[in-house]
Amino acid sequence: MTTVDPVIVAKELRKQYEDITAVDGISFEVRRGEVFGMLGPNGAGKTTTIEILEGMRDADSGQAIINGINVKDDPTAVKAIIGVQLQQNAFFDNLKLAEIVDLYARLYKAKIDPVEILSRVGLESRKNARYAHLSGGQKQRLSIAVALVNDPVVLFLDEPTTGLDPQARRQVWALVNKISENGATIMLTTHYMEEAEELCDRVAVIEDGQIIALDTPDNLIDQLLETGFKPEKRVREATLDDVFLNLTGRDLRD
Amino acid sequence: MKLYLALTIASLKMYFRNRQALFWALFFPLLIMLIFGFINFDGFNSPDVGVYDAAENDASRSLIDSLRGSDGAQVLAVSVGSREEVMNELKFGETRAAIIIPENFGVPGEFAELQVTYDERYAQERVVISTVLGQVTDALFKEVAQVPSEYRVENSIGISESFIEGQGQGFKGWLIPGIAAMAIMQTGLFTVVFTLVRFKSQGVLRRLKATPIGASHFLAGQLTTKAIVVVLQTYVLVIVGALVLGVTVGGGRLAVWFDLTILALLGGALFIAIGLAVSGWAKNEETAAPVANIISMPMMFLSGVFFPLSIMPEWVTRWSQYLPLTYLADGMRAITVEGAAITTLGSELLGLAVWIAIAFVIATRMFRWE
Repeated sequence: MTTVDPVIVAKELRKQYEDITAVDGISFEVRRGEVFGMLGPNGAGKTTTIEILEGMRDADSGQAIINGINVKDDPTAVKAIIGVQLQQNAFFDNLKLAEIVDLYARLYKAKIDPVEILSRVGLESRKNARYAHLSGGQKQRLSIAVALVNDPVVLFLDEPTTGLDPQARRQVWALVNKISENGATIMLTTHYMEEAEELCDRVAVIEDGQIIALDTPDNLIDQLLETGFKPEKRVREATLDDVFLNLTGRDLRD
Repeated sequence: MKLYLALTIASLKMYFRNRQALFWALFFPLLIMLIFGFINFDGFNSPDVGVYDAAENDASRSLIDSLRGSDGAQVLAVSVGSREEVMNELKFGETRAAIIIPENFGVPGEFAELQVTYDERYAQERVVISTVLGQVTDALFKEVAQVPSEYRVENSIGISESFIEGQGQGFKGWLIPGIAAMAIMQTGLFTVVFTLVRFKSQGVLRRLKATPIGASHFLAGQLTTKAIVVVLQTYVLVIVGALVLGVTVGGGRLAVWFDLTILALLGGALFIAIGLAVSGWAKNEETAAPVANIISMPMMFLSGVFFPLSIMPEWVTRWSQYLPLTYLADGMRAITVEGAAITTLGSELLGLAVWIAIAFVIATRMFRWE
């Protein structure tokens, strides 16, 4: 698969639900090989934005282009070349992991070895386990494995570590870093600042459907420090948590 | 096609690994059938007897009254008819014995012989009927003839017995196709509703929608699985029922299995469509379950699954004869009990076709992926 750079182009995306504007003119680009994070509190518009890019929802206006394909024009072609982990992922309780991966490979018409894919997420020893018997972290890693069956041009991870315990979260981080090192383009959403700092090359901070900051984590922190910001109780360094809270002006919800 | 096959195999695996679904689809109806079958409601009733009265005199009327019993304690369920009617009823399993009262019955000084024909399959009923008949004629002889007790009844009234093998299947024969029809309803409705609503609420369907193939192929595989289950289930219920309860299926006609398959598939299509409509509408299992029960419960009791509709009040049967399950149960029964070919089931097939059309229209309007 030849990749077009930038892999993801979002131009002035807008999406209105009955009484709220979920996405209000969002534009950004994601370059090949980049890990791009979208940060924001619940309800900020992260999931709607990512689902527009995945071809799961239509934008009211604006353009979403994945690898040169306009999502609105050919959502099926886009779905074929992306890997998707939805916020709420579930697979078939009564299938074994290898069977689930194999089934999804067929849905993408991809020829893969299910066990090899499972080994990439550290689940090869669980290949005969039923989905229903997995822990939360294992389920999340399986959903990433399923997202890899078609060797995607870009991998979308919507809140990949929400609800996981710290160890499981770190396992997912290690996995995302490993996938990224192999040259994959990844776009993820999170409301954990630590996660964005750990994983992302660049982050966009979203609030009320708009991007209110977009830069590398380091730059965002530096910019904040240049304003003379001093974190409470800490002498020198600020974290991305501080950046986020300063920008959005509110506490982490959820 | 290859994909459809793979999806169907996958959903078959999912189904057969789900012990709960298997319990409700197979063991539960089987259990109900065997329990009801072994209780044998035939035995609770007074044996049915047809009587042809050629004498039509006081003595013969007195005999019939005595056979019926008095003071509300029914001994035999007697129906009086022509010789032909009485013999036909016996032949088609509606009665257990036919009694022919000869013209010279009760004529003083003459020897009259009652001809009794039994259905040889019902030994228990034969004993009851012949005992009752012996006692009744004995008492009657003493009363009518007013002879001293040393005269014996054999001098004046004789009883000749013969046997035929009737064709009817009795309650067991009635029960098996009824339960099979009910099981088709339960599988179609409940397994579709519960798997799809769960897939919907968990997000399984959404994840499938994120693939280039989409979820419709998956749905097709799921529905094919249910159709396969419905047919297998019908075979198991009818075969086990016939073997254990000792009932012949379709009068030994081989094509009966083909006809049963077609009818099971039609019934499956109907209830799967109803299941789709319910699962399309319901957001979660909590809302789906009561709706599925409201649809299936009345039909279980009003469609002649366990008991003939004829025992129901007329105001019930007037509309319950149009219920989807009534058409299916009637059709299954015609094929398994009467050995009818599916091509002769005009009204049942029409009724099913109309319901299938209605259910599919509602299902396509109601179905939502999320």
